[in-house]
Amino acid sequence: MTHRWLKGALGLLALGLAEGCGPAPASQAKPQSVTTASGVPMIVVPTGLFQMGSDDYEADEGPQHEVRISSFLMDQFEVTHDLFVKAQLPNPSRWQDDIRKPVERVRWREAKLYCNERSLMEGLTPCYDEAKPGWPCDFAANGYRLPTEAEWEYAARAGTGRLYSFGAPAKLKANGWFADNAGQRTHVVGTRRPNAWGLHDLYGNVSEWCQDVYEPDYYKRSPAADPLGPAGGAGDTRRVMKGGSWKASASMCRASFRKGQRTGDTDACFFTDFCGFRCVRRVTPADVLSLLAKAASEK
Amino acid sequence: MKHIKASVILGTIVLLQAAALRAGNVREELGDSKYKLVHESYANNNWELFVTSADGKSSVNLTNTPGVNELYPQASPDGAKICFLIDNGTGRATIRSLWVMNFDGTGRKKVTDRARQQCWAPDSQTIAFLPQEYSKFNVTDYYTKGISFHHLPSGNTREHVNTKLLHHLYNISYAPNGKWIVATVHAGMGYRHTNLLIEANGNKVINLGIDGCRPTFSPDGKHIAWGAGDHELAVVPIDIESDNPKLGKKFFQVFDKQNKIYHVDWSPDGRFLSLSRGPNGKGDITKPGTYEAACEIVGVHAKGWDIFAVKVARGSSVTIGHKPVYDWQPLTRNGYSNKESDWFLPPSK
Repeated sequence: MTHRWLKGALGLLALGLAEGCGPAPASQAKPQSVTTASGVPMIVVPTGLFQMGSDDYEADEGPQHEVRISSFLMDQFEVTHDLFVKAQLPNPSRWQDDIRKPVERVRWREAKLYCNERSLMEGLTPCYDEAKPGWPCDFAANGYRLPTEAEWEYAARAGTGRLYSFGAPAKLKANGWFADNAGQRTHVVGTRRPNAWGLHDLYGNVSEWCQDVYEPDYYKRSPAADPLGPAGGAGDTRRVMKGGSWKASASMCRASFRKGQRTGDTDACFFTDFCGFRCVRRVTPADVLSLLAKAASEK
Repeated sequence: MKHIKASVILGTIVLLQAAALRAGNVREELGDSKYKLVHESYANNNWELFVTSADGKSSVNLTNTPGVNELYPQASPDGAKICFLIDNGTGRATIRSLWVMNFDGTGRKKVTDRARQQCWAPDSQTIAFLPQEYSKFNVTDYYTKGISFHHLPSGNTREHVNTKLLHHLYNISYAPNGKWIVATVHAGMGYRHTNLLIEANGNKVINLGIDGCRPTFSPDGKHIAWGAGDHELAVVPIDIESDNPKLGKKFFQVFDKQNKIYHVDWSPDGRFLSLSRGPNGKGDITKPGTYEAACEIVGVHAKGWDIFAVKVARGSSVTIGHKPVYDWQPLTRNGYSNKESDWFLPPSK
């Protein structure tokens, strides 16, 4: 048993988890899945380089540019109803017929509040300072936060250069819930195929909040390593939303598609029923070894 | 010929002005009344309850408790008591509790913790309230589960017979016949968002099928006023004596094209409405005792928000901020997060 997790850990190191390693090879090996202290499955996304954006679609997706991403943990699934209420948060979702469905109608602030609550549940340091206007994010904290849009797109492409990591858009029906197959509603998470790194529903079900302020021309000046998005944003600025949803066309599900979404933070009622999210957290090789060891001992 | 035209125009203007005066000048009409409005206000770095005269000419800090955050006042139908909320603590460790006091601010007494969105039953002795959904605080208005009733003389609290099914309600208001409670529901009880009539002592729940939020019964029970949108308040007739009440057509509307208008409440004679009005925003979290959310939410600092009064007139509408100014009237002007007003007639001594 010990050999198995050690083998996995070594595999991760080979994938470039450790700081300073080169780009990740294109989906040659499947990154490891770990389970957090509160029981949430996450994927160890390796350090790597990728081409972010696209020069072939909307103006805000270009210019395509190379970005280096440091390793991080990302939720394998979108945050579900049962996880949201476990954090003692009121479930705002339109569809409440199955607790395994992704939460939607979630304001940007509520998604951040969930991140903090999950951090506290697991004894981690919350990333968002709820006492300051706009709840600024401490990216150095070890707790949960929303992904940057660069992290999100990197994870969606899963080591491929493609706009749909699985290949042709015609394969989308097997890989995500979108307008052509969702039947105008959300679905239980993980019921479409995962991408090469084991992440589900990045191409559909609900669109996902990112940390970044939305700026259409940000790619013209964004840093080459771990971009955090434009500065500012204590006001009610638009934030980046990535990924397809139950009501999105196939084209809107492509990895480079980006939308500037109003946060909903100034609305008493938020009716945007395709807004969901998933969490990420920074990770060190020691963290991964610890999580894998824990998983092995529990087995 | 020119003289004749000018005379006709002048005469028309005079007639229109006379008609306007006959329709009533809100400030003048309210100046004659003995009504008061109790409302929350953020003064001196904390929430206080103020009592303002119906014409807005005088306002008194009823609570005057630095460091204690009083919110969401509701005056009993007989005008003798006021129930209100106190927020104690910060962030998700905040305890929001329900309190009651006499209309003059004396005799403060805690009813229960983790409660919100309360209203009075017609007997002026029972307070209906919404228990908080989970133990940790959340500023969200629909963060509730069930309905409970506290009877002040006995000190007993009981749950609504259907309490297990009542989920994510907010802004409850009791019908004056005691038969119904009207409330907004968001993401609960199988509804996306709507306004419901809930049988006060039974299991019946009726979807009123209207968008918007924060409905409140008129004192005679014949109308409901509610926020039909961020910039519209509306009034519709309702027959609460029926076992299956239905709403009529919109009877009166209030608009504000620029500012949000919320928290509608009826004067005791049903002739006037009060409302909170202010700019869109999400509060200023640097203010102690406040939270970051939409300004209309209880506990959120709302710079520039004031209380206004309008006169209800069948088949008409009022647009605040536009002439003629005689059909709307600001009752507060300092913009100190003046919200959640409730009219009452203080008992005579």
